[in-house]
Amino acid sequence: MSQRKLNIALEPAAAKYRPLALTPSEDLKGYIASHLGRAILFFITCSSVLAVLLIFFFVIREAFGFLTHFSLLEFLTKTGWYPEAQEPKFGALALIAGSVYVTVASLFFSVPVGILAAVFLSDIVSFKIRGFVKPVIELLAAIPSVAYGFFAVLVLAPFMQKKLGFPTGTNALNASVILAVMALPTIISVAEDSISALGRELREASYSLGATRMETIFGVVIPAAHSGIIAAVVLGMMRAIGETMVVWMASGNASQIPHPWWDISQSVRTMTATIAGDMGETVKGSDHYSALFSVGVMLLIMTFFLNLVSEYFLTRAKKALGK
Amino acid sequence: MRKIIYCLTAIMLLAGSSVSAETLQLEGSTTVGPIADAFAEYFKSIYPDLQITVKKTGSGDGAAALVDGRCDIANMSRFMKAKEFEKAVTNGIFPVAHVVAMDGVCVVVHPSNPVKKLTKAQVRDIYMGKVRNWSQVGGANMPIVVVSRDTSSGTYETFHGLVMEKKEMAPHVEYVNANPQAHARVRTTRGAIGYVGLGFVDSSVKALEIDGIMPSRKTIASGVYPVTRPLYMFTNGYPKLGSMIHKFCTFYLTERGQELVEEKGFVPLTNY
Amino acid sequence: MKIVIRNTFDKAFTILTALSVIFISLVLLGILGPMIWRGSGAVIFKGTVEFRKMQMDLFERGNQDVLQNEIVETDTVRKTIFETINRFKKGIDTEALCDRVRDIHREFGQELRLKGITGQEYSRLRSITRDIRDKLEVTFESQDKKEITKNIEYVLQFKKDERFKATCAEELFQIALGFQKDIAKIDLNKRKQYEEDLIQIEQTLFGSGEIPGLLGPHPDKPLPALAMNRFGATRWDQSLKLLDKLLWIEEWVEKEPGKPLEKVRTSRKEKFAGTDLEPLFSSVQDNLEKILKPRLTIYWQFFIDDNFNSHYFGGVGPEILGTLLITFLGMLFAVPLGLISAAYLVECASDHFIFRMIRMCINTLAGVPSIVFGLFGLSFFVLFLFPLFGMPSKGCILAASMTLAILTLPVMIRASEEAIRTVPQTYKEASLALGASGFRTFVTVTLPAALPGILTGIILSLSRIAGETAPILFAGAVAMGPIPKSLFDPTRTLSYGSYDMAVGDRISMMVPHNQYGMVVTLVILVLCLNALAIGLRSRVFKRLKGH
Repeated sequence: MSQRKLNIALEPAAAKYRPLALTPSEDLKGYIASHLGRAILFFITCSSVLAVLLIFFFVIREAFGFLTHFSLLEFLTKTGWYPEAQEPKFGALALIAGSVYVTVASLFFSVPVGILAAVFLSDIVSFKIRGFVKPVIELLAAIPSVAYGFFAVLVLAPFMQKKLGFPTGTNALNASVILAVMALPTIISVAEDSISALGRELREASYSLGATRMETIFGVVIPAAHSGIIAAVVLGMMRAIGETMVVWMASGNASQIPHPWWDISQSVRTMTATIAGDMGETVKGSDHYSALFSVGVMLLIMTFFLNLVSEYFLTRAKKALGK
Repeated sequence: MRKIIYCLTAIMLLAGSSVSAETLQLEGSTTVGPIADAFAEYFKSIYPDLQITVKKTGSGDGAAALVDGRCDIANMSRFMKAKEFEKAVTNGIFPVAHVVAMDGVCVVVHPSNPVKKLTKAQVRDIYMGKVRNWSQVGGANMPIVVVSRDTSSGTYETFHGLVMEKKEMAPHVEYVNANPQAHARVRTTRGAIGYVGLGFVDSSVKALEIDGIMPSRKTIASGVYPVTRPLYMFTNGYPKLGSMIHKFCTFYLTERGQELVEEKGFVPLTNY
Repeated sequence: MKIVIRNTFDKAFTILTALSVIFISLVLLGILGPMIWRGSGAVIFKGTVEFRKMQMDLFERGNQDVLQNEIVETDTVRKTIFETINRFKKGIDTEALCDRVRDIHREFGQELRLKGITGQEYSRLRSITRDIRDKLEVTFESQDKKEITKNIEYVLQFKKDERFKATCAEELFQIALGFQKDIAKIDLNKRKQYEEDLIQIEQTLFGSGEIPGLLGPHPDKPLPALAMNRFGATRWDQSLKLLDKLLWIEEWVEKEPGKPLEKVRTSRKEKFAGTDLEPLFSSVQDNLEKILKPRLTIYWQFFIDDNFNSHYFGGVGPEILGTLLITFLGMLFAVPLGLISAAYLVECASDHFIFRMIRMCINTLAGVPSIVFGLFGLSFFVLFLFPLFGMPSKGCILAASMTLAILTLPVMIRASEEAIRTVPQTYKEASLALGASGFRTFVTVTLPAALPGILTGIILSLSRIAGETAPILFAGAVAMGPIPKSLFDPTRTLSYGSYDMAVGDRISMMVPHNQYGMVVTLVILVLCLNALAIGLRSRVFKRLKGH
């Protein structure tokens, strides 16, 4: 009985029932508006794609003149960078080596400290202190690179010359130390994120088997988070390789590969410093100008490659956690 | 937050209506820079409405700026190269050189260095990397820290031409971008050797005798010092008489101008 | 392994990790601490009366009457110093005599021209005075008394010439006679020694072309053109250094052959013992405070003033203005782009290939080195886009801010995306249930809820833009230049200015407090922005949670 009443009661409402999505014939304006709006938003979002494509296109375009006239092999394998000589030589090996040298040396300092600090923040310390320490580390990241360069030239270089007795204070060691400090916040925050994301079960299982905290961290946590940590290190590398102001001021700009390769107290020159230093004085459109853009292309390629690597490791880390 | 953005946008849009004041743009050599600065300061005291900008990034940059039409006067411590002339003519710019002073490129070391003189050949060997320790040229047992100007500097060109005799420098040579930087490096590094214009030699660095001749006003003016060069200001064509550029470019001919040149440590052209 | 050993390792490890964090904070303190300490010297220091004179002269600040009184007080003490020096100089300081003789030669030429004497007569008369001038110059420098007497006699023979009477050339003869008299009293051998030192002393007291002196320019000489030479030591620490330079001679002497030279200090007072100049040193040393009147000064106008003479005097006002202009203009470009992109990516994106590519591009953009952005800014904005719109292809604020906007786009997008994602689905669903359209929901519900995160993103981008140097090197920043009048002018910025001052000028090296002052201003600006971000975030967060 009530069932039928209900049906009758429902019917008038059902007759007035309309689906929420209106067909174009019913609300043309709304249809166009929402789809047009979406299309506009889509194109605006594609601005970042546009930006990346433009960057690659324009930098490669300006480098084109050099790449077609001069031998790429010489560019990559010779060390003589004499762009303004009577017969210009564009051997960028010393520059590429300089960038790599300084970056790897900086990792030498920053990776151990960074991972230890990340472990400290994620495992060893309570939430309250963590909330206190994390801003301090973010503060390190906020300091502009010019300030670091300032410190490197006016404080660290004289210190190296006077107290450590180096013949020159602006050298690879100086640049590496400062780059290490600059890469630390990146390494710490990404590594700490991956280590924290592991969750408690893994650690509790290890503790329940009788391991101490150190053994848990070294034996379980770090191996489990290894993809994330590698990604963190790679991101730190990207930061170090792309840094300009600090190396321009602190590395001495001698376009050489240090003679005993482990002698870090010698002066080197990086790709970024070459571009920053030489660009102001080159005639636009000359070979030197294109050569500098080619160095820029090298930089782009290297950072792009590092980006892909870090992306790969980050997705692996996410997959390992089952997300 | 929004209000701040609105206010600033309004200010910027208002600022978009530019006020026209006479401007004079100089770019180029860090050696000639101090002379241009001194002239500019003097001019500003006579013509307070005049806005003078002096950019000091290197002779090559000055030439590039003049060729592109971005500056009125290019300060250069070397003559324009053939390539620069060609580009200028293609752009419709006809560079005219004005020699405002004479300069000598002085080889300097730290004051604590016992070495007082070197021959040109010795300096060349140091910069080519054949000599790596001060003891090989009569100094203390210290490695030599070789400092050079970057390759688009006019000072570098002069040094490269007259001392290096166009030979390449060794790869371990450190490069700095400007005269003051070279001066600072030599002043703070005990084993350093570098070269700067005469105007940058003061009591905190020691100039060496080259081939037995000490760089000074007298030896440079008479041409006896081997590494001498004129300092140029280039303009586009000869500046119109009575224009500000003309006044600036002929200021060095007046006694006051020559005094300023001498005050800055360079060698004035005339015995005013 | 035994439990004890494992536990010790464990504890050691804990300490090690704690040490690493402590090490990082120490590094932070070590970098920031000295910089802030030295930079504060630009704003808070002991300023002397010369500083107040400079402020009055260049910036028209300060009480004119009080300043006058101070000047009068200090001048009385300074007079004794001037007199001591002048007394000693007679016969020793030949430079002034040489200068005067040259000036007379010039003035004589002008007099002749005014009188209408031209042509041969002019050049004949002038050649005589030129001859006299050159002879006198040689005489002044000479140490041979016989030569001096001979030359002066030669000069004086022209005194009888009628053509020189009643002209300024007469002074030449007066000078010659005076010199002859003074020379009779002085031991010429010692003169050379004293001369060099006297030059140094005068430079320390009155300044030379490059280094300002303790007391400012000599009142008898014409005012120098450069502002930095018109005043004496403006800071008390600077004056103490100059005092040290006055009282001690520093020389590099060879202690052992074949080893580097060493610095040796000798007292200047001892060197001048027995001469008229000896009391100068003690009088300057004892009366320095009376001469300079140091007082604690808080120069907060440092942040507003323009600078003089490559930052020798003045402040960093235009640099701050340039940084702020570029930053806010850059944000004007970056915030809408970033926000809209983030909104679209969260709301409307699926796992379609296009969206994966967009995300990949955003990540690539985040990884591009800053100098490559500089290259891009130069090649695209300055050299390609501007000519396209008919604008002059030179670096300007517009190009710099557009370059920096692209630089921070990824930061903006990431922060906004995260913020929008953390808004609980229930908010959105409730709004939709009430009948609002998707767009309306987003604007009125999701966006306000995501505001703290978005604000954080905005402020992080702000601080990133403010601190960047490399991208704007070619696209809009200059080291020295006028205050920009429009958006199409290049500008000075704190970041580029700090670089320029750190590696640059000799003048910058003389004013370390200004060097550090500029860098510290930048660092404090950026740190304040970051602190603002953190503070805002927690406040809006609390408000949203309903506290």
